[in-house]
Amino acid sequence: MAKDLMFQAEIKDVVREAYGAISGGGGQAVAGRLYSDVELAELPRGAIDWALGVGNPVRYAFLQPGEVVLDIGSGAGIDTILAARRVGPEGKAIGLDIVPEMSERARVHAAEAGVDAWTEFRLGEMEQIPLPDASVDVVISNGVLNLSARKSRALAEIFRVLKPGGRISLADLTVEGELPPEIANDQSAWAG
Amino acid sequence: MAGALAERVFAEKLGRAGFVDVWVGAHRPTSIEEASQYPLFTDEVIELMRRTIAPERHGHVATSVIVKARRPDAAG
Repeated sequence: MAKDLMFQAEIKDVVREAYGAISGGGGQAVAGRLYSDVELAELPRGAIDWALGVGNPVRYAFLQPGEVVLDIGSGAGIDTILAARRVGPEGKAIGLDIVPEMSERARVHAAEAGVDAWTEFRLGEMEQIPLPDASVDVVISNGVLNLSARKSRALAEIFRVLKPGGRISLADLTVEGELPPEIANDQSAWAG
Repeated sequence: MAGALAERVFAEKLGRAGFVDVWVGAHRPTSIEEASQYPLFTDEVIELMRRTIAPERHGHVATSVIVKARRPDAAG
């Protein structure tokens, strides 16, 4: 148990340090694969440059004006901004990330996109979401749940903050079969 | 990627957390080449993947998916 808890803490540190250390995202190579030209046109250049997701959760979330949406692992804000445009000023978009540098970038990008009045970015962990029970209509995330060493806990937290009837749209990676032990046991492989 | 779940396990965890109407779709293979476009994968990790993963799997080492589900409404 103690070893397991240490492993969880190490993974969290590895992920936080890896995301804090990079000097850019996947840029157009990643964003152009995941988002349509129309969606890209809604985004400031910096948000595109910092694209690090693996899918397009906003496209599948069918967000409605007035909804409250939480983007877990919001990074530099690309999906939070797209979500904010869809829920509009009568709604709210909340980005949550563990990396202060990412949240700062996201705030700048949201302001550039003109959605900052109804968008906020908070520092926090997906395993301990700093929001009240039943306060969110929709939770999105993009390539983030696989980074957690406590996925059941993270899912329980997502369930807690969702209103009854609330929904999730998560983009993530799945792996069928075993990864080679050299990769599965490589902590830096958790960050990617 | 090292922490990614199998699709079935992902869906089971959602069910255990209380979610209903679980849907997994929009499957898209992820290759080592694609992974190398992300700065979070260090050159060392990419090289490790190329060396330890069977060549026939290099084009599909993971799958990008969209997972949707819903918290039951108050009436269940």
